Amino acid sequence: MSRPKEMTRAVIVGHKSILKETIDALHDTNLFHIEDFVEDESGFKISKPFKNAEEVSKKLVKIRSIANYLGIESKKPVVQKTDSILRELDSKLNELDRTISAKTESISQLENELKDLESQKREILPYLSIDLDFEYYRGYESLRVFAGTVKSSLEESQISSITQAYELYFDPQSKAVVLFVAKNDAGKVYEVLQGLGFKEFRVPERGGVPSELLRFIEQREAEVTRRIESLKGEIESLKTRYADFILASDEVLTIESQKAELPLRIATSENAFIIDGWAPTEDYDKLVSVVNSATKGKAYITSLEIHEEEEENAPVEYNNSKVVAPMQEIMDLYSRPKYTEIDPSSAIFITFPLIYGLILGDIGYAMILGGLALTIKKLVKSDAVKPLMNILIYCEISAAFFGVLYGEFLGFALASLHTEHGVVPGLIPGWETITLFEGIGGEAFTFPVHRSHMVMTMIVVSIVVGLLHLNFGYLLGFSNVARNHGMKHAILEKGSWMIIELGAILAAAGYLVVGGSALMYVGAIVLVLGIVMLAMGEGIAGVVELPSLMGNTLSYARIIAVGLSSIYIAGTVNDIAFGMIWADHSQIGFAALAAILVFMLGHSLNSVLSIIAPGLHALRLQYVEFFGKFYQGGGRKFNPFGYIRKYTEE
Amino acid sequence: MVDGATAGLFLDAAGMKALGAAIAIAVTGYASAIAEKDIGTAAIGAMAENEGLFGKGLILTVIPETIVIFGLVVALLINA
Repeated sequence: MSRPKEMTRAVIVGHKSILKETIDALHDTNLFHIEDFVEDESGFKISKPFKNAEEVSKKLVKIRSIANYLGIESKKPVVQKTDSILRELDSKLNELDRTISAKTESISQLENELKDLESQKREILPYLSIDLDFEYYRGYESLRVFAGTVKSSLEESQISSITQAYELYFDPQSKAVVLFVAKNDAGKVYEVLQGLGFKEFRVPERGGVPSELLRFIEQREAEVTRRIESLKGEIESLKTRYADFILASDEVLTIESQKAELPLRIATSENAFIIDGWAPTEDYDKLVSVVNSATKGKAYITSLEIHEEEEENAPVEYNNSKVVAPMQEIMDLYSRPKYTEIDPSSAIFITFPLIYGLILGDIGYAMILGGLALTIKKLVKSDAVKPLMNILIYCEISAAFFGVLYGEFLGFALASLHTEHGVVPGLIPGWETITLFEGIGGEAFTFPVHRSHMVMTMIVVSIVVGLLHLNFGYLLGFSNVARNHGMKHAILEKGSWMIIELGAILAAAGYLVVGGSALMYVGAIVLVLGIVMLAMGEGIAGVVELPSLMGNTLSYARIIAVGLSSIYIAGTVNDIAFGMIWADHSQIGFAALAAILVFMLGHSLNSVLSIIAPGLHALRLQYVEFFGKFYQGGGRKFNPFGYIRKYTEE
Repeated sequence: MVDGATAGLFLDAAGMKALGAAIAIAVTGYASAIAEKDIGTAAIGAMAENEGLFGKGLILTVIPETIVIFGLVVALLINA
């Protein structure tokens, strides 16, 4: 069981003239977790950022906005030299900025033109069926022009009954009307038109025949769209050309800005600075030598004794082997351990896959999901996905192991089973189920374990697994309390729970097995002793918690419950699929194809459920039942001052 | 008066056991659902504020799951 990495509290003091060298050295080592200085009455003040800070952050904002605009994503790094990047930075950044803003400006101009053309087109469209030059619509002294649409159809006689001096253009299909009448008759004609639901259109200000205008506008539209596309293509090519540069300079500038802004986080006086922080004890000597060589021994660096209340707040860095490391994701999902606590990653490394396997226990699903996890791990290079896939692989190994133990493959039993109701054949001919011993409730304990035929026995097995898990938790809690508060507290707070369990088991055994013997009274006395100890250790709150012990233990019954639900889903899919195939009388027809489809879909669904259901329940048993016995969490992440370079090197 | 056949129809031991098991599962399942609904809603709300609360939200949401597990245990005990 590992503890978080041991930390040393260190203080670096020096003259301000060597501040820059010190910061550079600290940043390069990436080992020192700096505690932010809070101004108090000591007379020290936080300092001002370095002179280049403003410029660096301006450039950083610019480069990030460009990266954002171009949609640059992190990719396989091409490592570049820092100084060559810095040399080219200004010119390249300005050039990039200029080109992009020129191009975006022309794009937005073109887009405006496109909108303009669109609205012109809308104006012309109603006139399309009346191919009359727009010049004819205006400039008359004695004529009135009506241009618009009507709702119902317009007969020429309706106009001719009012006046003979008219010229009418009407398109019966679009109901567009253009009517020229003498001004004197305009009023009457307008009334008629209004009766027909006349709606006037604006006459476009330009001259020309509508159909020709439309053709011209459409040509222009196509041209503008083409130009926008080509500009966008040019921007896209900028993206591929400059991606490496942008990623590298973002990194360089981020590093520069971190360094330039550090003085805001440390204590300084007129002429001196103090940097306070934590370093892993194993790396402390390296830190000292790096700082000394960078400042030619002018900086004073020393380790401080850690007080108890400081120890609680020390930053926490996991200290696990590579194999266990993926489990840290599960820890971080809950809460990072405190510096003073046991880090239970290695405990979960065993118990989480174990419980997952106990629940799923199917060779078929283990193979499907294990293969899936391996493929995703190969294909996806993301650092966030890899640990999760590793956890899934651990779980599937365990599930495959229990799959052999349970003799299950996609819900089929692998071994044949002889019951009172006859023989249930297995998938592997010749593999017979062996009865090992009498189980609980008249069930036989067999190998392989047929879970659906020995439910009561498996409930008891699940609960025993739960008791072991819980007591493992109490032991870890015992170790935590013993380390931090002494043995007496440990026995009263955590040991009392185990004594209570022991008393309950003794009393139950005395009552059930022996039948009310002295053993029962001994058990009762032990139980009461445990409760008294608990009350002394944790007060009345501990006694109130007592029933939760039973709840927590019974909660482990979900191991068999969730497992059975998975078997029944798989079994139902198999029954439906094979029922359809047999119904077909060995002909390859529609039913057989449908059966294959049902089989595939059903098992894909159950595969997905086989990640979620056993995963969540196994996780919950860790978080609620197991962690509840010892774990507090709430540690601060060890976040050293520095940067892990991906795209650049010194 | 109820005659023997009708009594047997209503109070058949195996049938009553099955009914009892069904009620145990159904009611506890419903109870879990109600409890998880409220906690889950609040957990999602909290997560919208701070994504780091996912772990704690998940734990709190699945706590009432124990109710239906108890129901299941009772159902299995009835049928055993």
